Amino acid sequence: MSTRVPVGADRLRLIALVTLCCLLPLAAIWSVSLGATVLPLDSIINAIFAFDGSRDHLVVAAVRLPRVLAGLLVGGALAIAGAIMQAITNNPLASPGLLGINAGAAFAVVFTMSVFGTGAQGSLVWTAFAGAGAAAVLVSLFGSTGPMSGTPVKLVLAGAVLTAFLTSLTTAFLIMDRSTLDSVRLWTAGSLTGRTMDEVRAVAPYMLAGLAAALVFPRQLTVLSLGADVSRSLGQNPVFWRGVAAVIVILLAGSAVALAGPIGFVGLIVPHIVRLTVGTDYKWIIPFAAAGGAFLVLSADTLSRLLFASQSFPVGVTMATIGAPFFIWLARTSPWGRS
Amino acid sequence: MTRVVTTLLGLLTIVAVAGLAWGDYPVPPGELLALLLRPAEAPPHVEMIVVGLRMPRLALGILAGAAFAVAGAITQAIMRNPLAEPGILGINAGAALGVMIVLVGLKNAPAYLAPPAGFVGSSAMALAIYLLSWRNGTSSLRIVLIGIGLGSLAGAATTTLTAFGAITDVQRALIWLTGSVYHADWHDVRMLALWLFPPFVLTFASFRQLDLVRFGDTAALGLGQRVDLVRAMMIVLCALISGAAVAATGLIAFIGLVAPHLARRLVGPMHAKVLPVCALVGALLVPAADFLGRAVLAPVQVPAGIVTALIGAPFFGFLLWRHRNAAA
Repeated sequence: MSTRVPVGADRLRLIALVTLCCLLPLAAIWSVSLGATVLPLDSIINAIFAFDGSRDHLVVAAVRLPRVLAGLLVGGALAIAGAIMQAITNNPLASPGLLGINAGAAFAVVFTMSVFGTGAQGSLVWTAFAGAGAAAVLVSLFGSTGPMSGTPVKLVLAGAVLTAFLTSLTTAFLIMDRSTLDSVRLWTAGSLTGRTMDEVRAVAPYMLAGLAAALVFPRQLTVLSLGADVSRSLGQNPVFWRGVAAVIVILLAGSAVALAGPIGFVGLIVPHIVRLTVGTDYKWIIPFAAAGGAFLVLSADTLSRLLFASQSFPVGVTMATIGAPFFIWLARTSPWGRS
Repeated sequence: MTRVVTTLLGLLTIVAVAGLAWGDYPVPPGELLALLLRPAEAPPHVEMIVVGLRMPRLALGILAGAAFAVAGAITQAIMRNPLAEPGILGINAGAALGVMIVLVGLKNAPAYLAPPAGFVGSSAMALAIYLLSWRNGTSSLRIVLIGIGLGSLAGAATTTLTAFGAITDVQRALIWLTGSVYHADWHDVRMLALWLFPPFVLTFASFRQLDLVRFGDTAALGLGQRVDLVRAMMIVLCALISGAAVAATGLIAFIGLVAPHLARRLVGPMHAKVLPVCALVGALLVPAADFLGRAVLAPVQVPAGIVTALIGAPFFGFLLWRHRNAAA
């Protein structure tokens, strides 16, 4: 909505965004330095720019840095995907986790691994896209009821049922195939453990493309978020732009799942908090959501590493522990929870 | 109504005979009949296979199917939402968590603790959902959303156990969770029948309350119903029924969603008719799914819960599509 915003408010938002973006590298460095061996700053910097093959440098380059980068990318991607989904469905509850997009991508990956026996999850990114896309089509077919009339609860119920269905199919494959179960059970919980630089590099282009696309079309997204009627009267073709937005969502959510498994609630919480603080203009929502999501997943992962002193605690579980109470609070306080 | 019930009973007989007769050791229907009429003369190995293995499996399927179906009918009535079922509301997620804690979380826990754990889990979940949705009374919409939220919380805990448990325990628990009637014996059947009897009687006795609550809070209040009390009572009954069934068979999906819809299609919306027909439909579906699961890919046995999910989910999609112009 391009109403006349006072220039001061925009400047405030810009300062906030720059601050957030400065916090991100700090949090990343903090996260890289923590672990079984606490590393000083200079050895981290040396490991990146002057790699000498020592043990500390190997830890940074092979273990911690990929994990941190994966967390940043996945968090940003899921948060933007959630923000866009909330715009195109006019539904405050839309997010890749709740509407079954993550479950679709996860099922596709488990299916492919179990049937064709492909090893590394990073190479399954196209499979994940296909799964996410199919799930998106199904949930929007069933949950949205023609233009504008899908109610939030119906879409969420459709998503819950789709998730239940896909999860039971995934389980069906896993109980028949113990070796796949053993290799993906951590991943199905949503986990950043053991990501390699190659896997990060394999999905990063898709995520960055999705991010760039989302940053290019903020005006169209804002108009879409006002509903199909308004968007048509402003001269926009809502069907076309919904399609474009859906492709971006599938790109972002699919590659996030391929990298780190289905992590829920990032796409729900972050856009909500962002809208509460910076308003409804997607010019601001997208960058804030990207930075906020990256920050949230990174700190959730780092915190669970610290608290449980375990490298393999799945960040998906940490996110659900933070996210489910938030969702319940939303359901208790929001006006559509009151009827 | 009579015709519907007769047809369903006829179908149930066919499924029952098929389930008892078919298997690695086929028992032709004639021999079955002889066994039932003159049990003393039957060869002992046939009696062992039919009475000891296949019959409890069939009986457990019938009881659990009826239970899931009635629990679904209650949920759809009190949520006033044709898409609600205990599985989606998170009640079953609570049961699953209880079982995972026993099978995977505790070291060397005896397996007979799993059913009561599932039961405690589902009851605790129902209670938590009701309490958290209380805000000057309850609303069905809030119950749905909070159920989904709490369900994913319990799901996260289950996932943690899946990720860190010993791989054999995890596989055992996953098989249990998908819902099956493989390991049925007469003890399970007796336990489930006893557990189900009181809540079934109470539910069938309160069919008028279920009819009323469907009209909406205002109408029900105006007609003198204490809406919040009835809703709490019904959630307790639903948790009892669905918890007992989950405890006995694991999570057999989509029966609670599909059976009430079929029942309403067959006999209309009044619960005096819907409840018994719906129980019958459920009792037909689970043994049928179990039969398909062991017949189609034999000798591999596909758990009944996976078959019901495979059939139930497309049916559910069709439902959503057909209701697309109705208010949620």
